[in-house]
Amino acid sequence: MDLSLLFGSAFLATWLTASVRLSGPILLAALGETFAERSGILNVGIEGTILFGALASYLACFYTGSPVIGLLAAIALGILSNLFLAFMFVTVRASQVVVGIVFNVLALGVASFVYRVLMGEAASPQPVTMFKPLHLPLLSDLPIIGPILFTQTILLYLTIALTALSAIILFRTKFGLSLRAVGENPKAAEAAGIGVARMRYIGTAISGAAAGMAGGYLMLCEVGLFRDTIVTGQGFIALAVVILGRWNPWKAAIAAFVFGAADALQLSLQLFGAPVPPQLLLSLPYILTILAISGVFGGKAVQPAALMTPYEKA
Amino acid sequence: MSRFIERRLAPAEGPIAIATTMGAAILIALVLGGGLFAVFHTNPVTAYMTLFGEAFASLRGFGFSLVKAAPLALIALGTIVAWRSGFGYLGFEGCFVIGATAATAFALATADNGMIGPLPFLVFLPLCILCSLVAGGIWAGAVGLLRARFGGNEVLISLMSNYVGILLVQYLISGPMRAPGGLPQSERLPQETWLPFIISGTRAHAGILIALLAAILVWALLKKTPVGFEMIVTGLNPSAARYGGISTSARILLAAFLAGGLGGIAGMVELLGVQHRLVDGMSGGVGFIGIVVALLARLNPVWVLLTAVLYGGMTVGADAMQRSSGVPSSITFILQSLIVLLVLASELARRYRFRSPFQVALAPSEKA
Repeated sequence: MDLSLLFGSAFLATWLTASVRLSGPILLAALGETFAERSGILNVGIEGTILFGALASYLACFYTGSPVIGLLAAIALGILSNLFLAFMFVTVRASQVVVGIVFNVLALGVASFVYRVLMGEAASPQPVTMFKPLHLPLLSDLPIIGPILFTQTILLYLTIALTALSAIILFRTKFGLSLRAVGENPKAAEAAGIGVARMRYIGTAISGAAAGMAGGYLMLCEVGLFRDTIVTGQGFIALAVVILGRWNPWKAAIAAFVFGAADALQLSLQLFGAPVPPQLLLSLPYILTILAISGVFGGKAVQPAALMTPYEKA
Repeated sequence: MSRFIERRLAPAEGPIAIATTMGAAILIALVLGGGLFAVFHTNPVTAYMTLFGEAFASLRGFGFSLVKAAPLALIALGTIVAWRSGFGYLGFEGCFVIGATAATAFALATADNGMIGPLPFLVFLPLCILCSLVAGGIWAGAVGLLRARFGGNEVLISLMSNYVGILLVQYLISGPMRAPGGLPQSERLPQETWLPFIISGTRAHAGILIALLAAILVWALLKKTPVGFEMIVTGLNPSAARYGGISTSARILLAAFLAGGLGGIAGMVELLGVQHRLVDGMSGGVGFIGIVVALLARLNPVWVLLTAVLYGGMTVGADAMQRSSGVPSSITFILQSLIVLLVLASELARRYRFRSPFQVALAPSEKA
């Protein structure tokens, strides 16, 4: 194939537009996870919550025809399932990795069971109404960045707004300060009158709302059909994005874009018929994650001091 | 707390307390799962009788349960070796397919027209076990190296490595190792390399003996050897281990290699015992269910044999029920994970005790 085609503007535009679109769910999940980890909870069950969000948004949108209701259902189920996780993490004080991994198996079982019960085994899959790309007036006419940034769906704009909101809440409010205190030094926070358990429940619930929303994004902006395998590690990649973003929403947005770009590269190269095995390109985001969090470059990230440590009230 | 229960100073750790709370947790999980059968207008009691009857009541069914249990037990043993050494490895899906790939390559090389040519089975099998052990071991050992050398987070790295492993095998069977024909899969392995059946009238194959042997070896390693002791100390308290002169990096690397090796052998057992050719999607979640099996056995290599047969049997029973009454077989995932989650939650119950009605009430200041 012609290499100039590869680096031509058509390729770049397709690639970058897809990069922004695909980074949406990763960033959403990572924003929520930032709150959980800042409060001291490493939520490996995020993958299962995204799957629940995808299922809830599919079913709600299928029965009502409204993607907005689908999104709300995804957020609601995300919060609900993470309250259960918070019970296991905070009240039972079970190992966070263990609970998360087992919860992912549970979510896979429940989602696949519910889908089959409600939609039947043999029926051909029914697509649902999805969010349409929204061309922002004026902005989408800007050269180069216009078509890339401002022809996305409403959910992507919402995600960018949530990034700003998360940064403000975490670093500019009393609530954010309390949350971070609980993740760094729960004993001192408790002494200062902050409810450690309460903050961790809230952090995990925020993570659930965002992960549910990420599932809704996958369903309502990208796929439109439910299958058991719809979530392919976006939750785990979001965990990596949180580390790379050093528990900071804006840096997480940059990291999420890099992963979206790795994912989109595979789609765009296939679209333009590059002679590379698709599996090699598909594995790019995962290999990138491994290299990025292995600490081979850039040194070790300093995580919240009380991350993964259950807190027992004295 | 209330008039009837009060908080203990420390959770009850006696065998009776653990057995009671675990039993209650499993019962509650089965009752909750029973509600799912009710959706299909099936009486939960008869449903469970069918489910466990299919798995354990007939010799044939029990054979199938053992076949499902063998790879689960091997992965659970890998989990035990890794986790007890403080290496939170979660990459067994990847090890499973990598081990199966190595075994495929070796078995195909021993075909009539292969690179090595036919070998007697008793020569072939140990060499094939070694191949998948080394392949899986290197796969997981690489993650161990990243952890020991650079301090990377093994939990996330191993989760990511699963996807890389599965995609790598997808590439191999749709490219270099692909057999002529429509489906992306390898050539069928020569029949001489298949694991023989060990119980007549069943499909139970020699892989079960491999799992049994592995359980004995892991038990002996952890309980009877200095190296195993050093691994456990590394897991319990790495700084104390270093202070005591143990090279914790070396122990973690060894644990990673052995855990991955056991996962690789699990893939080999499934390949030579059931599939007989490398196909896509061979692992099907077994890498995670194996971890769940190890957790239910409280990371004990002997108990693992029991929980693996139980969980293997549940898979067999649910598959049979899906064929006969249309209950989706995903119900096994629900039951299997719910049991472990509730067993974990039952720890909560061990923090309390019933207050004797005859006991003199403690003054408020004396309450724990």
